[in-house]
Amino acid sequence: MGQGRARNRRGSGTISPGGVAEPEFTVVEPPRSIFRRKRFLGVFVPAGLIAVAGAIALFAGGVMALPLREVVVVNGRLASKAEFFADAEVRRILMAQGIQVSLDLAGSRDIAVNSTDGYDFVFPSGRPAALLIKQRLAQSGHRQPKMYKPFFSPIVLASYREYAEVLADPATGPVVTPQNTTGPRLYYDMPMDRFVDVVERGTTWDRLAAPNRVLPNSNRVLAQTSDLCSSNSSATYLGLVAFVANGNVIPQTEADAIALARKVKPLLTAQGLPAEDMAGGYLAPDGQGLAPIAVIYEHQYLAHQLRTLERTGRVDDRRVLLYPAAQVQTVPEFLALTPAGDRLGELIMTNPDLRRRALELGFRVFEADGSVTTGQFAEFLTAHGLPVPSSGISDTETFLPSLPLLEKMIAEIGECG
Amino acid sequence: MRVRTAALLVLLALLAGCVASPPERVRLTVLADSDLADVGPLLDELRRETGVELALEYVDDPDVELASGRYRHDAAWPVTDRYLHLREKADGRGNALPTSTTVMSSPLVVGVRPAVAARLGATPSWADIADRAAAGELRFGMADPTGSGSGLAALVGVATAAAGTGGALTSEQVSCVALGGFLAGHVLRPRTSAELISQFTARQDEVDAVVEHESTLLALNASGHLREPLEIIYPRDGMVLSSYPLILLDPARRDGYLRAVAWLRGEHAQRWIMDNTARRAANPSLERPQRLRTPIGNALYFPDSQGVLDALLAVYRRLSSGTHQVVFVLDYSASMAGPRVERLRSAFAALSGSGTGGFARFHVGETITVLRFAGTVLEQREVTVTGQSDVDSLAAVVGAPADGRGTAVWSALEQAYRSVRGDASVVLMTDGENNAGISAAEFLGAGKRPVPTYAIGLGEADQAELGEVARSTGGRAVETTEASLESAVREIRGCR
Repeated sequence: MGQGRARNRRGSGTISPGGVAEPEFTVVEPPRSIFRRKRFLGVFVPAGLIAVAGAIALFAGGVMALPLREVVVVNGRLASKAEFFADAEVRRILMAQGIQVSLDLAGSRDIAVNSTDGYDFVFPSGRPAALLIKQRLAQSGHRQPKMYKPFFSPIVLASYREYAEVLADPATGPVVTPQNTTGPRLYYDMPMDRFVDVVERGTTWDRLAAPNRVLPNSNRVLAQTSDLCSSNSSATYLGLVAFVANGNVIPQTEADAIALARKVKPLLTAQGLPAEDMAGGYLAPDGQGLAPIAVIYEHQYLAHQLRTLERTGRVDDRRVLLYPAAQVQTVPEFLALTPAGDRLGELIMTNPDLRRRALELGFRVFEADGSVTTGQFAEFLTAHGLPVPSSGISDTETFLPSLPLLEKMIAEIGECG
Repeated sequence: MRVRTAALLVLLALLAGCVASPPERVRLTVLADSDLADVGPLLDELRRETGVELALEYVDDPDVELASGRYRHDAAWPVTDRYLHLREKADGRGNALPTSTTVMSSPLVVGVRPAVAARLGATPSWADIADRAAAGELRFGMADPTGSGSGLAALVGVATAAAGTGGALTSEQVSCVALGGFLAGHVLRPRTSAELISQFTARQDEVDAVVEHESTLLALNASGHLREPLEIIYPRDGMVLSSYPLILLDPARRDGYLRAVAWLRGEHAQRWIMDNTARRAANPSLERPQRLRTPIGNALYFPDSQGVLDALLAVYRRLSSGTHQVVFVLDYSASMAGPRVERLRSAFAALSGSGTGGFARFHVGETITVLRFAGTVLEQREVTVTGQSDVDSLAAVVGAPADGRGTAVWSALEQAYRSVRGDASVVLMTDGENNAGISAAEFLGAGKRPVPTYAIGLGEADQAELGEVARSTGGRAVETTEASLESAVREIRGCR
C-alpha cells in the first residue's frame, strides 16, 4: 500500500514520498482550492498528516500514481449530448479506460457565451456554438481546443400520431406526408414552408379542419423549442423558419438579418416562456399535452424507441417524427480544452465499444472513411426492428446565416441581453 | 475550483489503508417552498445514501427572495423557476440562467365537490367554471396571486384560457381579459397552499371548489378531513404545470448539487415521490401509480415577459377589490333594426347566462348600466347583480324596438360618463355617423375622462372618429360586422 510514483505531464518533475511504484492513478489539473476547505481537511486528518503532505505534493504535480488503475475525472460542460456521457454503459466503458466524466449541463449557447474555465472539454450541440467558443478562446489567448466529431444527429420535429395524421390529412394541405418505410409508420416528411404557413395563420389545433378528426387542444399550432438564448436546437429551428420565410435565401447583411428576425419573431415567441427540457417534456407520459410538436434531436427519439423496444419488445407507435425537408445535419463538435479532454476525445472517436454504444443511443456515426452515409446506422436500426428514416444527407447547416448574423437574429428574437 | 470527488475518495481510501470510505459529506443550504415540506423523509435517505445533506429552509414564497437576489443559499427549490427566469431576463441576465433540474411535476387543476361537479358536466373548461362563478353558483378557494407563486400560475392559466387566442398571453391582451366573472367566486384567498387547504377544510360545506396542485388535492382527498372527496377537474382549455426544479445558486457547490439531483432523479427517489407526495415523476420511463395516470390535458403557453405578469396582477388587484361597473351605450336608431339589433340581443342573452357566457358573463357584484340612444337618450337602466333576476331585467331594455330617429353618439356618451362611479369601463356601439347633439370635437374638448371607452363600430359608423375618441379616453375601437358583433362585444366587455 501507499506505493506509487508520480509523473508530471507538465514537465516539472515532482517526486513523491516514500517507496513509490507504478504510475497508475492520474489526476489532471491540481484542484488547489479544495485544500483551503475546512471540511476537506477535517476528513483528511485521520488519514495521517504525512500522507496529506504527500498527497498535496502529488496533486500539485498534477498526477497521482497508484496501483489498481488510472482514474481521471474529466469535467465537461455539455447540452443534449450529455445523454451520451450519462449513459450507464458509456460510463462503464469509460471507467474501464480509467475515465470518469463529470457532467455539467447547460444550453449550447450558454456554454458558448459563458466562461469555460475549469472544464476539460465542452460539447455544445451544434457548430455555431462551437465556433463562438473557438473565437473566444482565440481572443483570450487560450490554447486552441482540439476538435472531435464522434457522431451527429439531425434536428427533428417530434410529434404524436394523432397530430401527425391531422397534418397529413389532405384537408390541411397536407402539411406532412408519411415516409415509405417498412414496419410501423413512424416518420413523416415535412416541407417547412407548408408548416410555417400554418403557424403564420395563427390557427389552433382544434380548428385545423380534418374530417372526422378533431384534436382536443385549443392551443396554437406551433413547434415548441427550448430557450432560443441558450439552445442550439432552437437556434437551428430559427434558421429553418427564417430561411423559408425569406424565400429560401440566407440574409447577407446585418440590416437584412434584423429585418428577417423581426418578421419571424411572432412565430417563435407565440409559445411564450420556453420549457427547459424539450425532450424530457415530449417523452414524458403526459408529453402529448405538454408538447405535441417539440423541436429535439433525432437521437433523443431513437434512444427512447430503442429503450422501449428493449423494455417491452414493441415500438412506441404513439410518438412519431416529422423530418423538415430542408435537411439539417447538426454535427456537434467535442472541444477538448486540456490533455484529459484530449484523451476522452480520442477515446470516443476510436473505441469500438463507445462507437457501438453511440448507435445504441440513437446517434448516427461517421463511416470508417469519414463520410456521413447511413450504412451502419441503417443496419443497426434494421437489426433492432426499427424502420430507417429516409433523411437525406446534405451539407451542414447551409441554411444558417453566418455566425455574427445568426447571433444578431437570436438576440433580436430572444431578447437575450 | 473543481473538486475531483471520486479521485479524492479513491486516494483517501488508499491512504487510510484501503478501507471503504463513505462518500464525502456535503451540506447544501436550500431555500425551499413550504409546499415541499412533504419531501423531508426522502432527504434523510438522500443524506444516508449519498452523503449530501439538503438543509431546506422553508419559506412561503421563495420567488420573492430569489427575485431580489438577496438569498444566501447554495440552492433553491421553488415550485417553479418561471418567475426567476422572467426576472433574470428582464434584468438582462437571460444568457446565464442558473443550472436547474426538474425533480417532479404537478398540474394546477380544480378540485370540486361532487354535487357541483355534476352541474358542470363532462370535461368542463375554465370558461365553464368562470360562468358558474359569475352566476354565484360556484365559490372557490385559490391562493392569493399577489403573494403566492402557485396562485399566480393558476391565475395566468385562467387568464390565458380567458384570452382564448391559443397563444401565450401578451401585454396587449392582458387589459381585456374578462376575469371578473371568475373572480366573483374567489372567496378564499390566503397566501399559502397550507392555509388554503385548512380554510377549505373548515368551510367545506359552503365552498364548492379549490384551485390547487393535483398533488395537494390528492393528498387532501386521502387525508380523511373531507366529508366527501373532491372530484379533480383537468380543465379542457388547458392547465399550467409546476415542475419543482432544484436550482443551483452557488456554482461552487456544483458537485454536491449534481450528486443530489442524480439521486433524486433516480428510480428509487422518483417512485418514492409518486407514492408519498402524489407528484408526477420527472423520469419518463417509470410506471405510474393508478392515481397519477389521469391525462392532465394540454399545457397552456406561459407568458414570456415580466410585464405581462405585472399587468395581470394589476388587473387582479382591481377586480378583487371594490365595485365594478360596465356602461353599455347602444345605438337603437332605425338603421339597427333587423339582424343588427337581433345580434346585439343575442350577445346580451349570452352574457346574461342563456347558454354559457363563459368568462364574459355578467357577474355577481357587477353593476351593469345600459343606455339606449338614437337622436336622444331613449332609456337608461342600471342594475347591480345579486342574482339572475337582476340580469334578466336587462333583457327588456335590449328587447325594445330599434326605431329611433337620428344618431347622437357623443351626447349619449357624454351622458353615460355622468353615470360612471369608481372602477368602470364604457362600451359604445353604433352603426351610424353622429348627426345630432354635440360633435366629437365638443366631446373631446370637455376634458379628460376618468375611465376608458371601448367602441364597436359597424355599418356606416365613422371608424376614424370612434377610434380617435376611444383612444383619447385610454380605450380603443374595433370595427366589426353583423356576423361578428357578438364576439366583438365579448372581446371588449372585459377591457379595463
